[in-house]
Amino acid sequence: MFVRKSALLTLTIVALVVGLVGLGPARAQDKVTLSVWDYYGDSTPIKPLVDKFQQENPAIAIQLEGLDWNTTQEKLNVVLTSEDTPDVVTIDMTWLPKFAPLGAFTDLTALSGGKLNGVALDKSYTPGALQSITYNQQTIAMLYDFDVYALYYRADLFDKKGLQPPKTWDDLVNVASKLVENKKYQYEYIADPFHAVQFIYENGGGLLNEDNTKAIFAEPKAVSAVEFYASLLKKALAINWTVDSGEVIQGIKDGRIAMFSDGPYFMGILKTAAPEMAGQWKVAAHPIPKDGKPGSYLGGTGLVIPTKSKHKEAAWKFIEYLMRPENQLNVYKVAGAAPALSAVLESPDLNAADPYFGGQKPFAVFYEAMKTAHPFPYVRQWDDIGQAITTAMQEIALGQKTVQQALEDAATTTNDALAK
Amino acid sequence: MTARLAPPITAIRKYYLGYLFIAVPVASSIIFLLIPMLTSLIWSFTDFNGLQPPHFVGLGNYVELFTRDKLFIKALQNTAIFVVLSLGAGPVLGLLTALMLNQNVRLRALFRTAYFLPVMTSMVVVATLWRMLYNESGLFNTILSSLGLGTVGWLSDPNWALVSVVIASVWQGFGYETVIFLSALQTIPGELYEAATIDGAGALAKFRFITLPSLRSVILFIYVIGIIGGAQVFDQVFVMTQGGPVNSTTTIVFYLYRRFQDLRLGYASAIAYILFLILVGFSFVQWRVLGERD
Amino acid sequence: MAHASKPRSRWMTRGLLYVLLATSSVLMMIPFYWMVSSSLKQEAAVFASPPNWLPNPVSFNGYQNILSRGVFLRYLLNSVLVSVGITAGHVIFDTLAAYAFAKLRFPGRNFIFFIMLLGLMVPFQVNLIPLYRIMSSLHWLDTFAALIVPNMTSIFGIFLMRQFMFSIPDEILDAARIDGCSEWGVVGKVVAPLALPGIATLVIFVFMESWNSFLWPRIVTTSEAMFTLPVGLAQLQMKNTSNWATNMAGTTLVALPMILVFLLMQRRFMADLTAGAVRG
Repeated sequence: MFVRKSALLTLTIVALVVGLVGLGPARAQDKVTLSVWDYYGDSTPIKPLVDKFQQENPAIAIQLEGLDWNTTQEKLNVVLTSEDTPDVVTIDMTWLPKFAPLGAFTDLTALSGGKLNGVALDKSYTPGALQSITYNQQTIAMLYDFDVYALYYRADLFDKKGLQPPKTWDDLVNVASKLVENKKYQYEYIADPFHAVQFIYENGGGLLNEDNTKAIFAEPKAVSAVEFYASLLKKALAINWTVDSGEVIQGIKDGRIAMFSDGPYFMGILKTAAPEMAGQWKVAAHPIPKDGKPGSYLGGTGLVIPTKSKHKEAAWKFIEYLMRPENQLNVYKVAGAAPALSAVLESPDLNAADPYFGGQKPFAVFYEAMKTAHPFPYVRQWDDIGQAITTAMQEIALGQKTVQQALEDAATTTNDALAK
Repeated sequence: MTARLAPPITAIRKYYLGYLFIAVPVASSIIFLLIPMLTSLIWSFTDFNGLQPPHFVGLGNYVELFTRDKLFIKALQNTAIFVVLSLGAGPVLGLLTALMLNQNVRLRALFRTAYFLPVMTSMVVVATLWRMLYNESGLFNTILSSLGLGTVGWLSDPNWALVSVVIASVWQGFGYETVIFLSALQTIPGELYEAATIDGAGALAKFRFITLPSLRSVILFIYVIGIIGGAQVFDQVFVMTQGGPVNSTTTIVFYLYRRFQDLRLGYASAIAYILFLILVGFSFVQWRVLGERD
Repeated sequence: MAHASKPRSRWMTRGLLYVLLATSSVLMMIPFYWMVSSSLKQEAAVFASPPNWLPNPVSFNGYQNILSRGVFLRYLLNSVLVSVGITAGHVIFDTLAAYAFAKLRFPGRNFIFFIMLLGLMVPFQVNLIPLYRIMSSLHWLDTFAALIVPNMTSIFGIFLMRQFMFSIPDEILDAARIDGCSEWGVVGKVVAPLALPGIATLVIFVFMESWNSFLWPRIVTTSEAMFTLPVGLAQLQMKNTSNWATNMAGTTLVALPMILVFLLMQRRFMADLTAGAVRG
């Protein structure tokens, strides 16, 4: 008993001493060390590029912290409130609404001089992308990969039944009714803001008014858009995908879903988890109403420099390096995501025929969609608004409320939040 | 009680061991618990968002939580339901299984490990497996429909979601109670039972008059910790339902977490301290009712 | 034997007991089994519906993904150091404090205990940021100190041990003191052996919690060399998808040491203490 106790005691003391002496890595003294956070995880496009950067810039050392999406989000909340913030962070663009109004990120206008690797910003990005990295006339991020929604559809089933990818909402109803058999081959309904706004934007509606003080998604255009979306459920043309339905990829594999709206990263998911379906899927622009226009949410990954960073010039150098066209390609090659730089999207690498998608060039579809996409409003209360919309879409799917009622209630919640 | 009449030096010598033994935990509590708690308590009276200087708002956060925050009230209700259901089932299952495992059976170690395995398995695994079980065409619905009872939207029906989370929770967690009860049962001297047998007592009488009273301390512990822990339920909700559908599984700590993620540190701290006051109240009552007499 | 019961009903009760234990044990083991079998599947097969209970074909990709990284050993070492340090701390400090709260008398004893109990009633998220700042000002960020010291003792452990202490009769302690034992001797020679079931339980719970601990370690560590196992493994998730087979391989690897500790503890301290069946 005593032997064990003293062994434990010794171990404790050893651990404490080791810890207090600080068994951390040695930090370089004369160089500038940049702390970079990367949430791409296993398939990071950034890590392979670090060595070359350090060779080109011997005075800068990169300390790369590879985390996952969840960890980065939670850790950012804690660390940004302290004095030791990282210098470069990959953030999800949907986090900007809560950080931007609090001045968490450096205005890159001065550092960049309005240019990215010598090219003016408005030539580097599409207008929507530019809008997404701008807040209060400041440029607070560089868009690294982008996310917009387009229609994924079972081209093999379409061919079998002699159907064309739907261009209008009427087409969608038409096509869906011919496809659906026994609760299979449906269009996917997901209760969240990303999917709801697709229809709202397409019908000319919006989320908030010009100066972001009032909700406008309970107005006629938005309401009729969501009513159309909900009508697909009522006509049994769409399947309400909830957590009880399982993983989306499973529904895709067993045929419950034959059409769905999602972003370019889903191409990677299909290839990894459903390799047997190669050649069965294609992408097309999401259908729009007769007198509507294309529209989608715009998100993705941004590279930011927290305001409390002590090495802003060096951080900007690293960001510019990552945004070089040849380095942006890594985003696609390694991470399977969609690079945001216009020059790269027009390059031949991303416009090659993709055998998984039946020889189609899917990136062109997403690039086209990016031109008409815009981000969610950058208001501090975005989390509340997004939640209110999700709740409304759930209530609609469950049949608890009419579309008008559900959206009105969500609008009330939103206005209350905005008024505070 | 001669201690009180002893001269001061004797008193110090008498008591110093008590203080010495508790010195490290007390210091640790002060530095790593009490000081952070005080900090966040102060924040609860401000609009602190972590990045900008805070402004004092007095009781503003607290008032708003009770008068204008419908989601908070819903979270209180959901949490209450969760605690009542899980504390009803968990300790009972724990005691039953501990009694079984305490028998002189072969392969005891194997059975004990089996019961504790869910506790040791990560919540993500447990949640994923239960999601599969709860699936619309999963095991439970298959059984139900083969009995002609139709299917249930276990996690997608707002009327069922909370109960489903409770079931998965209790299943994953009652192993805790099993282990504690088992250890406690080990400390009951076998002679007591032998004497009772000689006196002609049956199994039920032995349970009522020997086992249960001996477990009193441990039962108190389980219920106090159980309410404190149950009221702070978070992991299961985070992994299984993210608070939905229609906020039917949003618990107090889950709501608090959302507010923290939204950088509303002052508001979230207020939520925490309302929960704190509730728990202090409960613990006090429990101590009086179940507590030891010393 | 005082029991007058017929042998057959005895057999039936024993039989029923075994049946109950066996079936319920199997039920409890199902998720664990599913975790291990998923870790041996190919990625695309993990979510097959209806679920495949046997991996077919068996694939070690998940494990390769993890074990092929040199840094994995470092994660493992860190986790071991941290968990052992924390558990040792709890065993020493919680037991001593519990003994004091249960068996020694000193002014303010109950009051101090209740005040410390208050610390349990606040969710950890609330203390996270202030604690982080304290770590920062102590320059403990990214060191073992930050991982171990704040977690070395807790009122939960003290509370648990205290309840076990109550079952130790005062007479035994007084007898030891009369025999000339110092208080330390009483604790070491009399109390500790009697409280072994409690200590074993404490070790199991504390080791498990610190081994699985994820939130605090990932906030407080910045360099890969300091990651513990759960933090390092989380890195293996990709930005938009999950490598389920790899994840399950990771969680299996993380679960194994805990099971080991559990088996060790329960065999040492729980299995053989009751020679003459304690029946309730």
